[in-house]
Amino acid sequence: MVRLITHNLLACHAKGCTTNNFPLKLQDVVVEVREAEFNADFLRGFLPRIEWTALVNAAKELGDTSLPLEMPEMVDDEFLKNLHHVLLEIHVDEGAMVCPNCGHKYPIMNGIPNMLLAEHEIG
Amino acid sequence: MAPAVTSTTVSLDVDPQNYEDEHVHAVYDQIASHFSSTRYKPWPIIVQFLSSLSTGWVGLDSGTGNGKYLSLPADRPGSVWTIGLDRSRNLLRIAQTAGGNGVTREVLWGDVLGRPWRDGAFDYAISIATIHHLATWERRKAAVQRILQAISPSHGRALIYVWAIEQDDLSKRSIPQSQEYQIAGQDVFVPWVVAKGQLQQKSLSNVEQECRTDPSECEEIKAQEQTSPPPVFNRYYHMFAKGELTRLVHDAADELRLSIGSKADNTMGAGVEIVQDGWERSNYYVELRRWEYQ
Repeated sequence: MVRLITHNLLACHAKGCTTNNFPLKLQDVVVEVREAEFNADFLRGFLPRIEWTALVNAAKELGDTSLPLEMPEMVDDEFLKNLHHVLLEIHVDEGAMVCPNCGHKYPIMNGIPNMLLAEHEIG
Repeated sequence: MAPAVTSTTVSLDVDPQNYEDEHVHAVYDQIASHFSSTRYKPWPIIVQFLSSLSTGWVGLDSGTGNGKYLSLPADRPGSVWTIGLDRSRNLLRIAQTAGGNGVTREVLWGDVLGRPWRDGAFDYAISIATIHHLATWERRKAAVQRILQAISPSHGRALIYVWAIEQDDLSKRSIPQSQEYQIAGQDVFVPWVVAKGQLQQKSLSNVEQECRTDPSECEEIKAQEQTSPPPVFNRYYHMFAKGELTRLVHDAADELRLSIGSKADNTMGAGVEIVQDGWERSNYYVELRRWEYQ
């Protein structure tokens, strides 16, 4: 599955593509929401590692606008619930992730993103 | 009796990528479900490592196979988040539901020599029984470097396991050994025998189930097995010599200009500490921790 927790960590690795290669743009996505167990401690621990703007924008691309533009200083339950939903419950089952720099397309099929490169694309 | 492990040599003329495609990736895609049905018991040092991670950490399982580590630690489920990467799409299909309970796992179809992430984005990485499938020292070194690059330069932790020439008494395999193996390791083919009817779709447990529910079909399967030999798939392995994995880490770190040693023993720069290395159940392992002064 590609959820936004994963999307937030991925970047383009095609040959020579080393700047502006994150975040990948989601394209032609088929999305399914599936409930996941809420774990506030996990979210609090992961929070400082998130590229926040990338997450907010990716959520918007998937139709979720529940996150604030800035990472809040005060973390309350409502915020964590929204964060949980955005990171862990929205599954991209089909579609693609496209590099904003070189345009390389990483297809997603059956929830599995294809991050392989052809031999001539390997850096 | 299981077919014997045979020694082999990777010719300098062949493209190692093509070689691995044929002798590793294609094989795993073929044997995925049967292989997966035999891989369920996590090794103790790996369990311990995953249990020691801080809550909220995200990690990469490079060469996840059937994803048996994605649901750990069992005593604190959901406290860390491991993303599985593998070259075999058929194994990834299995890894997606690893651990059961209707929980879906995050998996990536990719190569352990790829770098499809923000550098340092992960808090930890594991690579279990994977790097030994790469056909040259340079490629095995590159795989270690990808792991070092994937984890946080300030606190990232990693655990790497590879197959050892030194096999334990319980292992059923006898390993051919060349003269130089004690330093350079040994390239081998390890046969995987798949009984009839078990390719791709069927797992061993399915067949056993059928035997219980429908003995006539079971007889049929057995009859088939007697008339033609079961298919054998040879997987390429580089079996590591004693000390070779640690040497590989040194080589990989040097090239990335990372000092080897603890943070306390250094006053500046960046490095990687070898927290522990050793042998467990026919495998060598090394645990690493990155550090930096800013």
